[in-house]
Amino acid sequence: MTKKNVSNKPKAAFFDFACCEGCQLQVANLGEALLDILGAIDVVEFREVMSEKWDKDYDVAIVEGSITDHHAEERIKKIRARSRVLIAYGACAAIGGVNGMKNSFDLDEIRRSVYGKDYKLFDSTPTRAIHQVVKVDYTVNGCPVYPPELLEVIKCALRGLAYTVPDKPVCSECKLNENVCMYERGVACLGPWTKAGCNSWCVNNGNICYGCRGLVSRPASGAAEEVIMKYNLKPELIKNKFDMYNKCGEAEAKGGK
Amino acid sequence: MNYHILNKDGLDGFIKELSKQMKVYAPVSRGHGNFAFEEVSSGAQVALKYIPTILPPKKYLMPQRETMLEFDIKGERPEDTALLEAEEIALFGVHTCDLAGIQCLNMVFSERPRDYNYLLRKEKVFIIGLECNAYCDEHASCALVGNQLPNGGYDLFFTELGERFIIHVNTQKGEDLLEGMGLPKALPADISELARAREGKKSVFKNEIGVEPGKLPEIFEKAMNSKVWEELGKRCISCGNCTNVCPTCYCFDMADTVNLDLKTGVRTRTWDSCQFETFAAVSGGENFRPERAARQRHRFYRKFKFSPDKFYRFFCTGCGRCTRTCMAKINLKETLRALAAESK
Repeated sequence: MTKKNVSNKPKAAFFDFACCEGCQLQVANLGEALLDILGAIDVVEFREVMSEKWDKDYDVAIVEGSITDHHAEERIKKIRARSRVLIAYGACAAIGGVNGMKNSFDLDEIRRSVYGKDYKLFDSTPTRAIHQVVKVDYTVNGCPVYPPELLEVIKCALRGLAYTVPDKPVCSECKLNENVCMYERGVACLGPWTKAGCNSWCVNNGNICYGCRGLVSRPASGAAEEVIMKYNLKPELIKNKFDMYNKCGEAEAKGGK
Repeated sequence: MNYHILNKDGLDGFIKELSKQMKVYAPVSRGHGNFAFEEVSSGAQVALKYIPTILPPKKYLMPQRETMLEFDIKGERPEDTALLEAEEIALFGVHTCDLAGIQCLNMVFSERPRDYNYLLRKEKVFIIGLECNAYCDEHASCALVGNQLPNGGYDLFFTELGERFIIHVNTQKGEDLLEGMGLPKALPADISELARAREGKKSVFKNEIGVEPGKLPEIFEKAMNSKVWEELGKRCISCGNCTNVCPTCYCFDMADTVNLDLKTGVRTRTWDSCQFETFAAVSGGENFRPERAARQRHRFYRKFKFSPDKFYRFFCTGCGRCTRTCMAKINLKETLRALAAESK
């Protein structure tokens, strides 16, 4: 391949905000598909794996993490200004994720509990998903992201096509995989209210759905009562499970492009 | 009429022999009172007493996800190649409700334009039915729609008679298999015993909702604005479980996916559901059934009104899966009773 061809490939960069960087690690877990991706794009910044920086614009910015202080807000705005396409990557970026749990408390109270009496020295704002701060073109949901979906979103971004996050519950995929329903096993699961697109990854592996992809746009509120009654559950149990990922207000209802 | 006999302790040998010839799929316990059709190679794996499996055997005739074609837009003219992934398989232990389900799908996919992927795949499926001598559970309504008894749609059909199975042979393929295994023919006494067993079923299986099935289309005629649908709509999750597990639901979605070269790709079809929010949404933002009540109503009409109008048979097989799988307790029998009560 000539040098000219290499430089013609779209320039992609990874960035992280408040997150565990686990979703970026999923890139490494792609295996063979990673080689194909690297054949289609040039990765110009990726703190986890390289020290080089890029001083021009990005064709694709892949952003992990949520916005939790003023400095992060300024930084994401600068990244947005330099990026043709911005992908919110992983639950923290897409819906606020576990960082959103902060929003359940009074901000100063939670700062004091974390940083002690000098908490005012440490800046903090209520947690926001990326699209609550800057425009997002594509969203890859999940904690961590589901690698086949990441691949689909990258292909759509490269081709300039829209990627539609399925707006139906995880059950729709779980049933096609013929899993025994978690409720039948006597365990509460958030599948009925959570957006599909992960191919019921967790339930296929014996776990419940924790709602990491956010709620469908019109979650069935009336149904929750029926489900709680049928399976003899405590309403708080289900509510607490929702709070783990879904505390960033209207963030959950928004998809990508 | 041609019948053979298989002693129950010979079932293991039968499955083993059959699985040497082709892959055999049969109901297998999944725990928590759930069953699924899975590949088996011995009789011990088969659950002879089972309530309808999570998914009906339609998954072998129209897979949940199916690659329909490969395309390539590299050259001057786009190219495509149709694909059909199908192999000789046997389904063992298909209940009469599910045999009826396959018959319904056969009618649908034989309509023009024919669905060759379905029809060609079906040719390769060897179907062995299994009679229910008692109800699987309280959710079944097979007697309402006449599916407690076999009505064809199989190669072989097993009925338990004490320590033996009497096997009805319905196709040459079935006859060849049994002859090849050297199973003895049934004696007139065996056939009388089968007749007695069937007679006995009459006192076990009774119309489950107490409404004449012939009256159902009429009841539905009047039920378009029934309050029953609002009730269902309030509870419905729109998860699509009821249609995914239905042996006669056949709606699907098609999508093209490109490979990373952005030039080649595949067309895939996946089961779809009229219960999903997006099912009846079209470009421009219009949604013909944005409310859950309208979507549930649509599902019931597809089983009890539109299908008799078009195909002269109910597309509810009475298997009870939709009721069992609904986390919000939407119950088919109760719904039919409520509609019948309203129309009086």
